[in-house]
Amino acid sequence: MSWENFRFALFEKAPEALLEHSMIVVITITIAILISVPLGVFLSRPKFKKFGLVTLNILNLLQAVPGIAVIALALPILGLGMKPAIVALLFQSLLPIVRNTIAGLLGVSSDVKEAASGMGMSQRRILLEVEIPLAIPIILSGIRTATVYVVSIGTLASLIGAGGLGNLIMGGLALFRPEYLLVGAGLGALMAIFLDRMINYLEYRITPPGIRVE
Amino acid sequence: MIELEQITKQYPGQVMPAVDKLFLSIPKGEICVLVGPSGCGKSTILRMINRMIEPTSGIVKINGEDVTRTDPDQLRMGIGYVIQQIGLLPHRTIAENIAIVPRLYKWPKEKIKKRVDELIVMMGLDLEKTRGKYPSQLSGGQMQRVGVARAMAVDPPIMLMDEPFGAVDPIARTHLQDELLRLQKEIKKTIVFVTHDINEAIKMGDRIAIFNAGKLVQFGTPEEILTNPINEFVEDFIGRDRVVKKLNLYLAGDAMEPIGCVVKEIELQNAAQKMKDAGVEVAFLINEAGKACGQITTSDVEEFGKDIEGLRKRVLRTEKAFVQTTTPFPDALSLLLEYDADYLGILKGEELCGMLSFKGIRKHVYRKEDE
Repeated sequence: MSWENFRFALFEKAPEALLEHSMIVVITITIAILISVPLGVFLSRPKFKKFGLVTLNILNLLQAVPGIAVIALALPILGLGMKPAIVALLFQSLLPIVRNTIAGLLGVSSDVKEAASGMGMSQRRILLEVEIPLAIPIILSGIRTATVYVVSIGTLASLIGAGGLGNLIMGGLALFRPEYLLVGAGLGALMAIFLDRMINYLEYRITPPGIRVE
Repeated sequence: MIELEQITKQYPGQVMPAVDKLFLSIPKGEICVLVGPSGCGKSTILRMINRMIEPTSGIVKINGEDVTRTDPDQLRMGIGYVIQQIGLLPHRTIAENIAIVPRLYKWPKEKIKKRVDELIVMMGLDLEKTRGKYPSQLSGGQMQRVGVARAMAVDPPIMLMDEPFGAVDPIARTHLQDELLRLQKEIKKTIVFVTHDINEAIKMGDRIAIFNAGKLVQFGTPEEILTNPINEFVEDFIGRDRVVKKLNLYLAGDAMEPIGCVVKEIELQNAAQKMKDAGVEVAFLINEAGKACGQITTSDVEEFGKDIEGLRKRVLRTEKAFVQTTTPFPDALSLLLEYDADYLGILKGEELCGMLSFKGIRKHVYRKEDE
């Protein structure tokens, strides 16, 4: 261990790696939300519930594939770089969000839905004004799980040349420089904790006061 | 007016139809109670009126118009709907909950706020305290008040109520029932009210429809049904005590008899003579303020003779043995038994206006039974 190596890893290498890593996480999660939430909404509609089960099973299966295998499989198909890495990570992050979206929407009390529809609210209105607001805390909690997941699996993305904090970790392993390893893994952990807390706070703020558990 | 014409509802996978070729016409401005054991189809019928359930065959008409011709959302916006589980939106305040239908009608904000405030007050809730609260902060009874207020928000001519007071405690239930009846006198809505409780049906209904296994068994006023149950099922359903239940339909004022003799408290010693002159068995005592304060019977007079103080004590024992003209028979009977008396004075406000006797009650009920 040398201070010089440590300093170099932290101040010279880490900023770029952190930026890359953040980009991977933000882009992946944004795309994941854009796909998963509408998918979850769609699969929770009474007409499509039976597809919901099938889709959840498929996603469950995808989830069961180890992250490193997905990344490895992405290489021959999608090539090197950040794009294939993001596609690979997407597979892993869809499930928690879809699952929580479905669970959240189906968890809305049928009495509330019945009353809303009995008052003449259209299905669309019920979805936007009743179901989604009530399901939002659960959906966000799925997003939180997915985010933490992507931060950690994202370190493997450097294996296919996506960069990020994985570069520091892999580099440290290859060069026998524990300092690099420490900085890469440490920043990854901090990032995961930070994002987890941030979304948690968002979850609290966005939860309507009437259903907040104080 | 709501008319159901040969309505049948057959759920898939069930042998018996839930509702079987039903004809029913519900008059305007009345409370029509649909009652029957669970699974008799009463809720299904209610929900077919606002198309929450579509009938398998038959037509539902509101004011002569087939409801399937209107868009279901538009139809429901114009019909108040109250369910047992209330279904307030938990993420909206009480004021926002009540404002849902007015908002669907795109009322201007000012008008909505005015109407919401009016309804909160009308439902007997504290305006300032309740408006900004969330449903989870209210008691069951208060929540159902909000539920009713929400259904009445745009003053719909028709209200559908599916066991609205089934989940609240008995005291709150009685209150809510009384208030709905009081309100109904002013608002005169056509209310279709579902319950499985025959007592509630008798209390609330201008008309009662009794169902069994998807079929209408009897339709009539509470009095008709209690007097002439059409078959054994109805008899069983209303219970052995149907005549006692019938007592609920009458008020003390219905069987009021004139008072033969009134005695002032200061001339108690003359009571015996006065009663003899009038030829009556009972006299009522009035104090100096002109307030009725007890009753004297011939047996009291005989028992105490010249012992005026003893008599006074006996008379004052019945100081509270009075009912209002609007007191229902059961309460009056209870008082008669409590005081071991044959008579009760009837007050209109503070003023003594007549009397009620055991005999009178019996005759009144008997006469009605005879008709």
